[in-house]
Amino acid sequence: MMTPKNNIIIGIIVALLVVTSYNIDANPFDFAEGIPNLAIILEEMVAVEPKYIPTALWAMFETIQMAFIGTVVGVVIALPLSMLAARNLNSKFVYAPIRALLAAIRTFPSILWAILFVIMVGLGPFAGVLAVIMYTIGFVAKLQYESIEAIDSDPVDAVSSIGVSKWQLIRYVVIPESAPHLLSQILYMFDYNIRQTSILGLVGAGGIGFYIINYIKFFEYGKAAIFMLVVLVTVLIIDWVSVKIRDKYIMKSQHGMEVTTK
Amino acid sequence: MKQIQMTKNPSFSLISTNKIIQLNDIWTSYDSKIFALEGINMSIDRGANYAIVGQSGSGKSTLLKLMNGMMIPSKGTIKIDYVTPNMNDKKFKKMMHTIGYIPQSLGLIKNITVLDNILIGALPRLNKLQSLFKQFPESEIKEAKRIMELVGLDGKENRKAYMLSGGEKRRVVIARALMQKPTILLADEIVSELDHVTAHEIMDLIADAQKRMNLTAIMVHHDIQLALEYANRVAVIKDGQKILEIGVEGDSIVDFQTGDMTNEEIMEMYYDDSKK
Repeated sequence: MMTPKNNIIIGIIVALLVVTSYNIDANPFDFAEGIPNLAIILEEMVAVEPKYIPTALWAMFETIQMAFIGTVVGVVIALPLSMLAARNLNSKFVYAPIRALLAAIRTFPSILWAILFVIMVGLGPFAGVLAVIMYTIGFVAKLQYESIEAIDSDPVDAVSSIGVSKWQLIRYVVIPESAPHLLSQILYMFDYNIRQTSILGLVGAGGIGFYIINYIKFFEYGKAAIFMLVVLVTVLIIDWVSVKIRDKYIMKSQHGMEVTTK
Repeated sequence: MKQIQMTKNPSFSLISTNKIIQLNDIWTSYDSKIFALEGINMSIDRGANYAIVGQSGSGKSTLLKLMNGMMIPSKGTIKIDYVTPNMNDKKFKKMMHTIGYIPQSLGLIKNITVLDNILIGALPRLNKLQSLFKQFPESEIKEAKRIMELVGLDGKENRKAYMLSGGEKRRVVIARALMQKPTILLADEIVSELDHVTAHEIMDLIADAQKRMNLTAIMVHHDIQLALEYANRVAVIKDGQKILEIGVEGDSIVDFQTGDMTNEEIMEMYYDDSKK
């Protein structure tokens, strides 16, 4: 373990850490000194009038709605694309360009898509929704074509030996076999999109992030913190709910997948 | 256990003009060096209950895949009802609709119900709109339920396939094959993993369906005893060659291939297999 070679590597990493921290002005002492500021924020939070809480909840609700539309529309567009991108269903001339397109979509983080759409359609939640749609297409299509490629080939072989058409094979074997993954991916994506949408407001694309960035700009940290707390609690609740749904509907069928006949 | 008596004088006709499957000098290879099958000749009567027996890796599963067009031989000719099997051929693709094939792994769709699995057999009879919207005609659903009763699955139509026992899973795939209104049923070692009683139940079920529907059944077995009990012809495959073909009538066995195997050797093989 502690060979001279390893020592040199560890030495280099530590040296790089010090140099890069110095370069970007990351000082642990500043962090320690900053801790008491938390108390100030907490004090400000307590001082915030309760009338802001309904506003925060409403902004969160708007965020959830944006994430909902983005997820649903994104998934609806992603599904046919994933069918076309699956290698076990298509020729190279079909899946290769679709995969390239999906990879290009994924290259941009959602906040960059949001900036692009703010420029296109103006400030507001619609730009945010469009950004969520793009992001969802890129990811769900990838996750989904991977799970299509990973489905058990036995039912596919057995059913294609009946001489059914390719579309029947997709409709009656590929979709049902990959459906449990799909449900779990949609839940994950919705969950993820709520978190994403919370920050899209930072570039003016609506949602609760829009309030947070404005309070920060005007040094109203207490109000910003209240809004952030609402995000935190909402994400925790959504997490908890999606775990419950996953347990109920998905674990069961995945258990079934383990009991194969081989 | 069946008493085996060998006779060189067949008591029933060897020549039949009604051959549904004919294999002529079939060679197959996966990489053009190692042959899975080496010069197989086989002809199967319409309505026969034909068993192919052999040990793992003998090439017996390959034979079934050749018969449903999933594989193409490197050399030799196959005729199924006078048509050469080929998945890309329209004429044969239509024939595939009525060839039931049950792979060893069964090929059930695990997350859908028993009824939905069985209805898959009726897919070739749906038109485009019906299959897009999953609208099976009432008559097909009735037929599926009738078949479910026949195979002993009544009342289980809404059960998800993954919840079934090994025996029930086999009943579902048999029902799916029967739903195809098949003329030929190909089954690859579908009872090998079952206990003695369940294996016989499933075999009885197939024998019964065969009689009712005038099916030609070609079943691959690991266990020669099971083959002798149910089939009226048994071919033994070893290392890609057919080393023996016998006809079974009542308690007597007729050698069809003036075989180089003696009675003792067959028994030896029999015991070899049953030990495994």
